[in-house]
Amino acid sequence: MITCEEFFTEFADYLENQVSPEVRTELELHLSQCRACHVLYDSTHKTVKIVTESASFELPQSVCDPIIDRVMAKLRTEGHGLPLR
Amino acid sequence: MSFLSEVQLEEKFGPFVGFQEALGFVPNLLRAQTLLPRLVEAQTKLETAVRIHEGAISRVQKERIFLRVAADRQDLYCAGMDSKVLSSLGVSDRQVQALLNDQRLEDLSAADATSLEFCLKLSRNGPSVSVEDIKALRECGFEDESILETVIVTALAVYRCTLSMGLGPEPDFGTPKLTSMSVSPPPGVGLRGLLSDAHDATQRKGPYVSAPYLSPKAFAPFAILEKSHGFIPNFFRAQTLRPDLLEAEAEAVARILLPEDVLTRVQKECILLAVSAANLNSYCVAMHCNLLRGLGMPSEEGDQIAVDHHQSGLSEADKGLLDFAVKLGARVSDFSRADIVNLKTLGFAEEQILECVAVTALNNFANTLQMGLGIEPDFEPPPAFQNKAHLPNAANRPTETGRIIAGPGAVQDPDAGLVAEAQGGRLEAFEELARRHSQLIYRALAAILGNQADAQDAMQDTLLSAFKHIGEFQGRSKFSTWLVSIARNKALQRLRDRKNDESLDQDEYEEDRGFRPRQVRAWQDNPEQCYSKFEIRQLVERGILGLPAKYRVVVMLRDIEQLSTDEVARQLGLSVPAVKVRLLRGRLMLREWLSPYFTTSIKRAAQ
Repeated sequence: MITCEEFFTEFADYLENQVSPEVRTELELHLSQCRACHVLYDSTHKTVKIVTESASFELPQSVCDPIIDRVMAKLRTEGHGLPLR
Repeated sequence: MSFLSEVQLEEKFGPFVGFQEALGFVPNLLRAQTLLPRLVEAQTKLETAVRIHEGAISRVQKERIFLRVAADRQDLYCAGMDSKVLSSLGVSDRQVQALLNDQRLEDLSAADATSLEFCLKLSRNGPSVSVEDIKALRECGFEDESILETVIVTALAVYRCTLSMGLGPEPDFGTPKLTSMSVSPPPGVGLRGLLSDAHDATQRKGPYVSAPYLSPKAFAPFAILEKSHGFIPNFFRAQTLRPDLLEAEAEAVARILLPEDVLTRVQKECILLAVSAANLNSYCVAMHCNLLRGLGMPSEEGDQIAVDHHQSGLSEADKGLLDFAVKLGARVSDFSRADIVNLKTLGFAEEQILECVAVTALNNFANTLQMGLGIEPDFEPPPAFQNKAHLPNAANRPTETGRIIAGPGAVQDPDAGLVAEAQGGRLEAFEELARRHSQLIYRALAAILGNQADAQDAMQDTLLSAFKHIGEFQGRSKFSTWLVSIARNKALQRLRDRKNDESLDQDEYEEDRGFRPRQVRAWQDNPEQCYSKFEIRQLVERGILGLPAKYRVVVMLRDIEQLSTDEVARQLGLSVPAVKVRLLRGRLMLREWLSPYFTTSIKRAAQ
């Protein structure tokens, strides 16, 4: 069986589902037998899921709209002319 | 005399002794490379492992492939040498003549005939090889290892022919007569007639053979690759059935590509990129674009070399170097001694020309091998190149010189229409673009600044600056990429004003190697259900803002904005492996940060 260190080398690609079937088999065999790596994989996988589904850093419309409105007002009043080519 | 000077090496020079023992003579092809003995060593490593050592297919089978490929490419030098070697192995003159002249071989088994047909197809037109060809080999009794070896032998045949065409060595034993010269299709993996096949060069087809897991701990070449590149390309992973051949390839790469004493790494990577592009090998194009980015070249410049290096910002001399390599590597029937003279006129020394020939030969070895094994891409090829390879319409056909010309709008961009209007001065179009990409801009700013209020401030600057400079946007990248680059500059400017010394660029291969997570308690089954959406969002935002800047930016673009890893690398001007390293590190740090909130309670764990 592969070692924890070898597992960790492939870990980033495994999380992204980018390993070959042969490597996957080795990694999953390791996961089924090594509690520490299993915990690492499970919690990191859950971290990615929580982060991607958190809708973080969504700039609310109520904040975003005024910013764009201010920019457009500035461009309109300052007589931008034709932009540089 | 070959095209370049030769140096007298002592006959005890290791590679010479090896060839003398294995073949009974030292081929002039090797003597033609004596200006740089490491190139002679590289070829010897490959030939010894692939050609001389007994493997899954026999010596005679291998030599037949060599001869057939050489004759098909009308390479009189290699065909002459290979006929002689085949005869010395006891093959009849009749069979040698038949191989030379593409005649039916009655005394050849069906398996051997099918294999030779496959090798020719691979050598002539690699992108057209498909799983059907592999199936045909399997039906003749070929197994994974013999298929792998057949492909590598063909790749080596192409390597030798590229060297011999580029160096013009004196024949070792006179030249054979090729009667079928007018009948044969033009030699080379050139573009002609290739796009009209309507095949799809970027389609994923393989991998064709199995590849057992090979640990970098147990296999030194993988450990070295990991250290030098930060990852092990699929190109090497796909050949793990034969560690001995992999080792020889790694030795050849180390001797041809890594030294910087003649051509620079960047020059060599540009050669590999331009010739791979001419051979329509999207795997290798993506690889070398990434490696160039890792060497500090902006992604648009690499993309431009892949599509048409004449439009790039390279020096005139380097463009000439690429012209030379592309001709030798993809349109060899047009190549002649005059091309060598031309390079000398541009100021290149003989050593540099020799190395360029060897790099081109190695490139064709890699292109052939990748297509023969259907190796899966590590990275996305540049969008502009994908369009070229995908759409064999009139605009993309090779010109008479076989070159692909970059058309306008090389990158397909959903914003293109609005951008054109905005460039014409229509403010409403710009407003629409600003609204469309406001979240992306905001997140890029927040990630770099580490502060949401500052990001809101910087947004206005970014949009004003984008409008002011929109006339300079030329469509070489996607508009959104261009917007992020402006946001990045604005944010970095603010960081500098704040005298913040957080770095976005520091290299982290070394320092990250030893990183190990500390938190090892298991997490609950549905951790996110323990908190409200609002609480989770606050936790995540605090966690991300607490990361060091270089990780924060990558996590923000990949996991929050959900761009692909490749897209993130482009936006930040990093190589994909560098992004992967930062992403994993960032995710693991977030995991440590979130762990106290989501682990099973001590009480539950004890049950």
